[in-house]
Amino acid sequence: MNPLPGFSFDPDLPKPLVRREFLKQLAAAGLVTMGMGAPRLWGAAPKVIAPPAKADACIVLWLAGGMAAPETFDPKRYAPYEKGLDYKRVLSTFPAIPTAVDGLQICQGLERIAKVMDRAALIRSAVQPDLGSILHSRHQFHWHTGYVPPQTVACPHIGAWMSRVLGPRNPVMPAFINIGQRLEGVGESEELKAFTTAGFLGGEYGPMNLPYPDEAAAAVRPPKGMDTGRFVNRDREFRRLVDANPHRDQMSDYQQESMLRSMDNAYRLLSAKERAAFDLSLEPKEAQEAYGTTRFGRGCQLARRLVENGARYVEVTTEYVPFFNWDTHGKGHKMVEEMHATIDAPIAQLILDLEKRGLLDRTLVVIASEFSRDAMIEGRPGSKAGDQSFHKGTTMESPDHYGLHRHFTGGTSVVMFGGGVKKGLIYGATADERPLLAIKDPVSIEDMHATIFTAMGISPKTMFEIEGRPFYATVDGKGKPANIFG
Amino acid sequence: MKWGSRLVISAALGLAGLGLHAEVDFNHEVVPLLKKHCTECHAGDKKKGSFSMNTRATLLEGSENGVMLVPGQVAKSKILELVVSSDPDTRMPPKGPGLTPAEVEVLKNWIKEGAVWTEGFAFKQPAYEPPLKPRAVALPAAQPGREHPIDRLLDEYLQRQKIAAPAVADDGTYLRRVYLDLIGILPTPEETAAFLANPNKDKRSVVARELLAREIDYAEHWMVFWNDLLRNDYAGTGYIDGGRKQITAWLYRSLINNKPYDVFTRELIAPAPESEGFSKGIIWRGATSAGQKPEMQFAQSVGQTFLGINMKCASCHDSFTDRWKLKDSYGLAAIYSDHPMELVRCDIPTGKMAAAAWIFPELGQVDATLPRAERLKQLAALMTHPDNGRFQRTIVNRLWHRLMGRGLVHPVDAMQTAPWNQDVLDLLANQLVTTKYDLKEVLFFIVTSQAYQSQTQILQRDADDKGYVYHGPRAKRLTAEQFVDAIWRLTGTAPAKIDAGVMRARDGVAIAALLAQPIWSNDTAKGKQPAANEARVFRKTVSLATDVTRAGLVIACDNTYELWVNGHKVGKGDDWQSPQSYDLTTVLKKGNNDLIAVGRNGGTAPNPAGLWVQLYVQLSDHKEVVVATDKSWQWSATLPNAQGALPAKTEWKPVALVPDVGWGEGESRLADQYAMLSKKTMLLPRAALMKSDLLQRSLGRPNREQIVSMRPTELSTLEAIDLSNGAGLTDLLNRGAAHLMQRTWASPQALVHWLYQAALCREPSPAELKISLEILGPKLTEGGVADLLWSVFMLPEFQLVR
Repeated sequence: MNPLPGFSFDPDLPKPLVRREFLKQLAAAGLVTMGMGAPRLWGAAPKVIAPPAKADACIVLWLAGGMAAPETFDPKRYAPYEKGLDYKRVLSTFPAIPTAVDGLQICQGLERIAKVMDRAALIRSAVQPDLGSILHSRHQFHWHTGYVPPQTVACPHIGAWMSRVLGPRNPVMPAFINIGQRLEGVGESEELKAFTTAGFLGGEYGPMNLPYPDEAAAAVRPPKGMDTGRFVNRDREFRRLVDANPHRDQMSDYQQESMLRSMDNAYRLLSAKERAAFDLSLEPKEAQEAYGTTRFGRGCQLARRLVENGARYVEVTTEYVPFFNWDTHGKGHKMVEEMHATIDAPIAQLILDLEKRGLLDRTLVVIASEFSRDAMIEGRPGSKAGDQSFHKGTTMESPDHYGLHRHFTGGTSVVMFGGGVKKGLIYGATADERPLLAIKDPVSIEDMHATIFTAMGISPKTMFEIEGRPFYATVDGKGKPANIFG
Repeated sequence: MKWGSRLVISAALGLAGLGLHAEVDFNHEVVPLLKKHCTECHAGDKKKGSFSMNTRATLLEGSENGVMLVPGQVAKSKILELVVSSDPDTRMPPKGPGLTPAEVEVLKNWIKEGAVWTEGFAFKQPAYEPPLKPRAVALPAAQPGREHPIDRLLDEYLQRQKIAAPAVADDGTYLRRVYLDLIGILPTPEETAAFLANPNKDKRSVVARELLAREIDYAEHWMVFWNDLLRNDYAGTGYIDGGRKQITAWLYRSLINNKPYDVFTRELIAPAPESEGFSKGIIWRGATSAGQKPEMQFAQSVGQTFLGINMKCASCHDSFTDRWKLKDSYGLAAIYSDHPMELVRCDIPTGKMAAAAWIFPELGQVDATLPRAERLKQLAALMTHPDNGRFQRTIVNRLWHRLMGRGLVHPVDAMQTAPWNQDVLDLLANQLVTTKYDLKEVLFFIVTSQAYQSQTQILQRDADDKGYVYHGPRAKRLTAEQFVDAIWRLTGTAPAKIDAGVMRARDGVAIAALLAQPIWSNDTAKGKQPAANEARVFRKTVSLATDVTRAGLVIACDNTYELWVNGHKVGKGDDWQSPQSYDLTTVLKKGNNDLIAVGRNGGTAPNPAGLWVQLYVQLSDHKEVVVATDKSWQWSATLPNAQGALPAKTEWKPVALVPDVGWGEGESRLADQYAMLSKKTMLLPRAALMKSDLLQRSLGRPNREQIVSMRPTELSTLEAIDLSNGAGLTDLLNRGAAHLMQRTWASPQALVHWLYQAALCREPSPAELKISLEILGPKLTEGGVADLLWSVFMLPEFQLVR
């Protein structure tokens, strides 16, 4: 780790605000909120059967908007564009290319990822429920929490589960960091906020949101316009003011101390050497070039730095903005071409970097999206969802019509690297003719979460009591891990 | 202490999350099995062979024949022998086909894993069944000076518990508490000083009455509570697809007019279009699972909000934790449903149809054959039936929780559990009925008790694990809205307008008219428009006969303005469509006051320009003064210096009124804002009327996707980071510091005294004063002021209502 320029790190921080006699109690009490009927682990916990963890950290590369599997990791019959082309003739608009794994092909445009597929297990049979009239954010909510909204309690994001159950790997690093998604000023932002949360587990386990990777350093720096000296001084004076408070002994210790503990924790992160992990400007130039200049590329690079420094769960997204990025309702081929270019180098580089640093074996990297796409079928056969493509004809009359424009939930690809997955594995399969349904080893959302949780050493049956009810990591603790581990 | 050892807390916090991962699921696998085969004879009051499985404890006690089950030890668990026995005399259960091999396996694995049992679960809850009807409360004799009925009951309780009554909170503490609890904002230093100086013995109840009479402040504070409880918000999921509807305007009017709670409830259950958003629930686009259909949401919301019943479990299957069954939630849902409903158990249809039914038939029943609207009216009447003590207790318990920091029943939505003092709960419920469901009267009743006015309990730990014992009120965390309102008010940084679509006035109160007319200099030739970027100075001298109680001003200018009052720079603005309001209470004085505004036109060619100002002043003799831009104002082309001063020989000429050139929308906003500030209270925007933002979320304002009856009481680390370096608070503090710098301070000490009075309702101690002055530095700077503001706002004393 490079030293942090311009900041003289003082290893002997001011004495904690929290009084020593409360340290133990606060720790014992955990982060359970006082007398709130707040979540607590169910029962007296006589026996814990947590699966052995295969990975310590998890990076989800979230290709939001509906990544078409036949355009990425599950190439099917290819037909080049020509005017008047019948949709029926096209399953993929990109030809297949070979990968580092014999017999495994993915789509043209992902050449660099193709070279690292020998480190991956490729699941081609992920399936989602149709949920009727398809709303992206609803499927994204489902994918990220395991529960379909609306729900009677606020559902935690999988990152929050990891934060709650596993805790931070490094005590000063936030356990759950969410990169690349703006939560204000984009379509469906209220819906995005609804699952970008720790829900009932409580704010302590919620995400640190970093929509712009290049500005991540600012999130852990003194406030804008305040130099380090003033920041340190402000904190020191604040501590003196706390100590001088004549009512300190007449106020509830627990409430005061828990508040001050959080202020302490915050100050610790804002002064710790780990905060350099958030600063992408410290990356060598060559490395910056390898990841490229897109927000996603920068996000992948940031994720690597954060995991190196002890983050538990990091998500990086190409960002969900309705009708942009992977939300390819029109000009599908061209948009996917751009998305290939956006993800190919950064993902491959991330895998290689983690490997080079010896971190890949204990880091589970997951590439996923809320559902796949098809040029013909909305949802899955029998779905009542309306046709969501812009062009309603049956032939392609312009290059804009070339591409997969409809949502499809019957068969999706998910790629997992590291974290003990069998390298070069292809798991499950989809049909070679429409509908491209998963025809072998289907992996439901519950199964997908069971797979990820199990790799992280969390049983899907882990449960918390909320409002007198059990709430499980997966719905009713269901879900079987896909057999993808070595 | 060194770096390493200080990390202990976080590490331990991380470990606290270790979960329970039993392979057999007690609730879903074991309970149904035992219910099917065993509990008919071995649970509740049935103990055949002296053996009961009602609770884990009784199960482990065993039977007359000894231990039946040893957790973790299959071989020693006789129960397993009995269920597989081929001897018809010993086999359990004695009748029927007995357990299937798969069921035996479940039982065996369950025992092997330690016979995990849901904490608190019993097949039949033997303990507490809450009374339904109201109950008269006999009051014990009063101790001298403690005649309030609440105190008479609590004194008896404390005596029984051998606990001394908590000491009385001092006046400053009381005042801050009662302001925040009743109207959500801090008393001004002037209000605090007046209260402290008031020798009247009744002053505490007098101020409580006065606060409850501040209709707008009261309504806007309690919007927070009700928006949480009715999951109403100005943005959120569901709205994009029309799957949700606001009840904002109805709620605001209900609160400002203090609608009786029974009427309020009836209007939510059997709603008109303006209040139907509550019962409609939240629907996302697409198919919805059985347990979250709008009808089921209705059953859940009505149960939780009005009765403290959790119908969420029973929406999917019979509840494991209380007496409500699937058919009960479906019965409530069917009252609301406009189509026949089939009972669905855990997403599997049962073939049985739901019958519309109210859950407490003792009070009467809904006629399922009537049309929906009539059924809902019947439900509303049953809910608010005078004999429905559960309804009354639920709301008074919520109010007690808000004021006292902890419910009589706690958590407040678990109304099936025993209160720690049934008498106090019933007393409050009876008070509600006696006062015709007037919530303000219940609040008044509570805050006038000695109990409310006591010092808060000093908690040593995250207590209550050994059962709650009352020691006095508990400190509460400021709500996000209280925190933000306090900062806005103290630093003069409130936003220019609110998000909520409400008229901030009581029904029947005339909205003060906008008198301001757009003015500009009279030197523009007829038919011409003011030149681009032309700057003009406008002035008005306002003569006030007495001291000022409250004063505020709205201003807008096409295109930009800067405003000085009595030499203080009040502010500037560059968006004529977003007029701004300023509190001038401390700036205006008895005698002559100078208003100076510099207006600047924009554009690149001549174009219309205009300035609007309207000032509202309430004088100490209760007279009102309104000053608006009109022909009496004067203008000059000479610009003021940085202090807003002009040369003595400046030539002033009368202004011209500008004809309307389509400023309609900006003017109507100006009128709205003027209407706000000219009310008796200064109507600055309140956080409760704004959409949530990152700062409010950091301070615990919830997403209102679910009903929220209790907010998190603790500040999380991520929230603390936002408060330490987040752009939202940083910006407020910087702007606030700049704003405070514009005021005249006799000395830095004066600023510190003012801040402690305004934020904490007390004077700083000598030590605090010294440190605060060090933070400010020898000369006031924006940075120093911002840092002092931050340090005081971060104090637990500030962030808590103690």
